[in-house]
Amino acid sequence: MIDRTNLYETRIRALHRAKLEHTDEKIARYGSFDVDDHGYIPWTEPIPFEPVSSHPSGGCWGMKDIGESFRRWLEVHPVYIHPQSAIAGAWVYKGIPGVAGFERATDMGAPDSPKGNRTRTLDGYPKNWRPEDRPTHLYEKLLGYNTYSPGIGHPNHFGPDMTIGLDLGWGGLLEKVLRYRELNSPAEGGADTTFYDGEENLILGMQAWIRRHVEHARAMVRLEDDPATRENLETIAQINEHLVDGAPRTFREAIQFLGWFQCIDRMWALGGALGQIDELLRPWYEADLASGRETDESIIWQLASLFFNDSHYSQIGGQGPDGRDLTSPMSFLVLEAMHRIRIPVNVALRVHDGMDQSLLRKALEYMAADGTGVDFALSGGLDEGFMRNGYPVGLARMRAKVGCNWTALPGIEYGSQDGTRLCLVTPLLLAIDDVLATNAAADAAADPPAPAAATMDALWRRYEHHLGVAVATVKAGKDIHMERQADNYPEIVLNLFCHGPIERGLDASAGGLDIIDLAFDGIGLATTADSFAAIEQRVAEEQKLSLAELRRHLKDDYEGAEPVRLMLATVPRYGSGGSRADEWARRIAELWTSLVRDTPTDRGHWTCMPGLFSHGATSNFGRLLGATPNGRRAGEPVSHSADPDPGFVPGGGVALTAKANAVASTQSRWGNTTPLQVEIDTGLMNSMGGTDAVADFIMAHNRQGGTLINMNIVKKEHVIEAHEDPATHPDLMIRVTGYSAYFGSLSREYRQPIVDRIIAGG
Amino acid sequence: MADLRAPVSGVVTDIQRFSIHDGPGIRTTVFVKGCPLRCFWCHNPEALAPGPQLQHFPDRCIGCGACVDACPEGAHAMHEATHRFDRSRCTGCGLCVETCYARTLVMAGEVKSTDEIVEVVLRDTAFYEASDGGVTISGGEPLQQAEFTRAVLAACREAGVHTAIETAGHVARDRLLAVLPVTDLVMMDIKTMDPELHRDATGVSNERILESARLVSDAGTPLVIRTPIVPGVNDTVESIDAIAGFAAGLRSLVSYELLRFHMMAGSKYAALGMPCRAAALRPPDDELMDRLTDVAARRGVVVTHT
Repeated sequence: MIDRTNLYETRIRALHRAKLEHTDEKIARYGSFDVDDHGYIPWTEPIPFEPVSSHPSGGCWGMKDIGESFRRWLEVHPVYIHPQSAIAGAWVYKGIPGVAGFERATDMGAPDSPKGNRTRTLDGYPKNWRPEDRPTHLYEKLLGYNTYSPGIGHPNHFGPDMTIGLDLGWGGLLEKVLRYRELNSPAEGGADTTFYDGEENLILGMQAWIRRHVEHARAMVRLEDDPATRENLETIAQINEHLVDGAPRTFREAIQFLGWFQCIDRMWALGGALGQIDELLRPWYEADLASGRETDESIIWQLASLFFNDSHYSQIGGQGPDGRDLTSPMSFLVLEAMHRIRIPVNVALRVHDGMDQSLLRKALEYMAADGTGVDFALSGGLDEGFMRNGYPVGLARMRAKVGCNWTALPGIEYGSQDGTRLCLVTPLLLAIDDVLATNAAADAAADPPAPAAATMDALWRRYEHHLGVAVATVKAGKDIHMERQADNYPEIVLNLFCHGPIERGLDASAGGLDIIDLAFDGIGLATTADSFAAIEQRVAEEQKLSLAELRRHLKDDYEGAEPVRLMLATVPRYGSGGSRADEWARRIAELWTSLVRDTPTDRGHWTCMPGLFSHGATSNFGRLLGATPNGRRAGEPVSHSADPDPGFVPGGGVALTAKANAVASTQSRWGNTTPLQVEIDTGLMNSMGGTDAVADFIMAHNRQGGTLINMNIVKKEHVIEAHEDPATHPDLMIRVTGYSAYFGSLSREYRQPIVDRIIAGG
Repeated sequence: MADLRAPVSGVVTDIQRFSIHDGPGIRTTVFVKGCPLRCFWCHNPEALAPGPQLQHFPDRCIGCGACVDACPEGAHAMHEATHRFDRSRCTGCGLCVETCYARTLVMAGEVKSTDEIVEVVLRDTAFYEASDGGVTISGGEPLQQAEFTRAVLAACREAGVHTAIETAGHVARDRLLAVLPVTDLVMMDIKTMDPELHRDATGVSNERILESARLVSDAGTPLVIRTPIVPGVNDTVESIDAIAGFAAGLRSLVSYELLRFHMMAGSKYAALGMPCRAAALRPPDDELMDRLTDVAARRGVVVTHT
C-alpha cells in the first residue's frame, strides 16, 4: 500500500531541488546566461550524430534535409525521466548540432550572448541561414544605426494552437500531414513535397523518441525499490505507450503531450509559447476530478512537473471571445503549482476590467511570498490596440500572452515577435552631427546664428530622417526574412500546431498564417527624450553651452566635464510629468509608431506593428553607444523599454503612478506591448493595504491603456546582497523583463540595471 | 475673510505620489512646511520651520565650486578643493542651489501655487478612481497654511478627488473650521492624554489638540485618530488605553491607528544641521504593538497598527 500523505508535496520539493542543481551545474559550466532560464538539462556525454546535408558547405538547410536530420537527432537524443516527475522527457542542447547553422560541437547548452564583445559585427548574420542567403548588403547601414538585432532569420515567437495537437495526438498529426501532402500533390506527380516530407520525418522522430522513453521508464521500474516511485514510472511508461500514436485521454496525458511539445519546440528554435493554459486543460481537469482519477493535489504536482520540464510561456485568466471571464479552478491551480515548485515559470495573468479579483489577489499574495510570479498582460491596451487593425473584439480577446512581452492569436497570427529591436538613441547622435555640419556651412556663409527654436526644429527634422532610414532598412530586412526564412530555418515544429501551414503546404514564416503583423520594438525612449530635453533647455534656451561644445563633450565622454554632465542630467526627466522630456517622449513615440505602422514593407507588403520593448538588451545596446546628451556616459546601458530612467523623480521616492502615466502616454496602441517594469519592496506590499493598492494600481494601468506590467516584489537588501555574491541567495528569482530567471544566473552587467531599478524604488 | 478666488500659494517640501499610508487607497500626499509642534522623533524635520531651508548633502559634492560664486553672503568656500558650508551665514535665498547640479545643495521648501499643486494631484486620477484614493495634505502642519490647504482641497474636491488632511490639531479653531468643509477625512495625531508629558515631548500642551478632535467630530467629518508609538513617551498600556478611551467618545471616529515609530530621518537632520534626538530609539516590537492594539480595541473602537 502506498502512503500518499504528502506524496505530491514531497515530489514537488524533489523537482525544486533538481532544478536548483541543474541551474548550478549550468552556471558552473557556461558561466552566467542572460536569457530565460529554460528547462534544458546539463548533459556531458557525447551524442553520436551526423546531420544530412546537400549543401556544399556540409551545412543542413531546407525542409527536406532538416526533417531528415531532426528525425535522426530524435532517434539518438538522450532520454530523461526524473523519477518524481509526472512526465518523461527533457532536451539537452539549444539547437540541433550542425542543423540550420547551429554549431556541430556537442556541448551547446550555453546560449549565444554578445557579452564581452566590444567590436560588434553582423558578419555571419543570421547564423541560421545559408551564407549565400544572408543580407550582407544591409549590414553597414544597420550597424550605423546601432541596430544589431533586426529580426532577420528570427525563428518562432508566435503562438501555437495546442488544441490541434491535443485533439489529434502525434498519430493524428501524422495522418493530417500525409493527407495534405496527397491533396496538394498533383496526380501526375512532379510536385515538391519536401515541406510535408520534413514534417513527416519530425513526427516519426518524435514517435521514436517517445518509444525510447517507454523502454527507459520500464528499465527504471526494474531498478526502483520504492513502491510509489515504481508505480509512477510504470504510469509514465503506460501513458507514453499510448501517446506514441494516440491523442491524450486524461489530464496527465495532456500534460505529457505538452511536455513533448515543449522539448522539441525549444530544441529546434528556443520556442517558448504554450497558450491559455487554464482553459486548455480545464476539460481534462473537470473530467478527471469527476471520475476520481485525480485530486487537486495530484493536478498541482502534474502542473509543477510541466513547469519543471520547461518555462514555456502561458496565460491564465482573461476573456473568451464572448467576453466571459475565463477564470476557473484551473487558473488557481496553476498559481498554486507555481508557488509550490518555486522555480522560474513564465505565466501571465490576463487582466481585464471585469476580471475575477480573487485571482488577481491570489497572484499578488503568492508574489509577496515568493518574490516573483506572474506578470500582468492588460486587455485594456492590448485588445483596443489590436481592434484598431480592423479585427473584431472576439478575436482580440483570444490573443494570449505567450512570450516575454508579446501576445499572439493561437495558431493564426505570425508576429515574429521580440527579436526586432531598433535603437531610438543613435538617430539623435547622427542628427546632432548633421545640424552642426549645416551650421558650419552657414557660418562659412556668414549667416546670422539660428534662434533656439530653429535649432530644435532642425534637430528634429534630422532625427525624423535618420529614424526613418533605420526603420526602412529594417523593413527591407523583413522582406528578406519572409522570402528566405522558410528555406533556411523553417517553422517545422510550430507549423504542426497552426491553422494554415499544413493545409496550404506553406511555412508559417512564409505567409502560412492568416494574420501577419511583424513586431518592431524601439529601445531607449527615456535616454532619447531626456537627451532632447537637455539640449532644448541647456543648449537652445539657457545657452549654457553650444551644440558644438556638447558634441565635443560627448566625443570626450564628458572627460573632465563632470559639472556639465550633471547639468545635462538634471533637467526634469521623462516621467516627472508635464516636463519637456515628457513632451519629447510622446513626440518620439508617435514618430516611431507612425514610421513603423503607416507603411508596410516594400516587397511583401507585410504589416508592421510598433512597440517599445528592450528585453534585457539595455546593456548590449549601450555598450557600443557613445555618451548621450542626457548625461549618460559611453557604454552605460540605455533606458529600459518605455520606462523612465531610474531616479527620474528628483530626491527619489516610489513614483509608480508617475511611471505608469509615462508608459501609458507612449503606448503605440496597435496591439503590440510597451511594458511597464515595476519593483515593489516587500515591506510596502506586506504593509497594511499594500496588496489592495498594488491590485488597484494594476487595474488602473489597464484602464489607462497599458499593455503589460512586469513586477518584482523583493527585499532590496536581498537583491543587493545577491548582486555582490549570488551564493547568498541561490534561489532568488527575479523578473528580468517579461521572463523570470534565477538572479544568480545572470551576468553582473545584466544584474546591474535591475539593481539600479530596485534601489530607485520602482 | 480672504478672497477665495485670489491665487493662493504655499510652501511645500514634497509631493509624494503612490502614497498608500496616508489615508484610504492610492493617494498623492502634499507635504507643507511649518509646524507648531517640536516632537523630538519627527521624521519630517525639513517641514518644521515655516520658510525654505537649505539642505546640505556633502557626500554628493564634486567640488566644482560654483556655489562659492553664487552666494552673496559668503556661506560657501573652497579649501584645498573641498567645499565648506557655513550655515550661520545662509539666508536660504537658494541662489547656490540653482548652480549645484550635483544636488549637494537642495532647498527644503518651495513656494508653489494652488494650480501647480492641483495639476500634479490630478495626474493620478485614474489611480484614485481604481482604489478609492485621493489627495492628502500633510506636513508639517497643513492647518498652519490653512488658506492654501483649503484652496488645494477645494479644487481637488471639485474635480471629484477625495480629500484628506493629516494634522496634529494644535491650531486655532477658525483655521480648522475653514478647512473642514472641503475635507472628506481628517487624520489627527494624539500622542498622549497627559498634558505635561505632551508638553515635554512636543513643546506644546494637548488641550487645543483634544479640542480640535471634538470639533471635527461635532462637524461630522470622518476622523481617524493616530498615535505614533514612541518608546519612553507612550508605549504603555495605560497611555494607549487613555487615548483609545478618548477616541471612543468621538462620534465621527472611523478608526484608531497605532503607528510604529521608525527613525528613518537621520540623514535629513544632518542635512539641515539639526541634532537628531531620537537616533538611539528602537522601533517597538510586534508583541508590544499587538498588546497595545488589544488594549485599545477593548474600548470598542476599530484599531489597526503598522
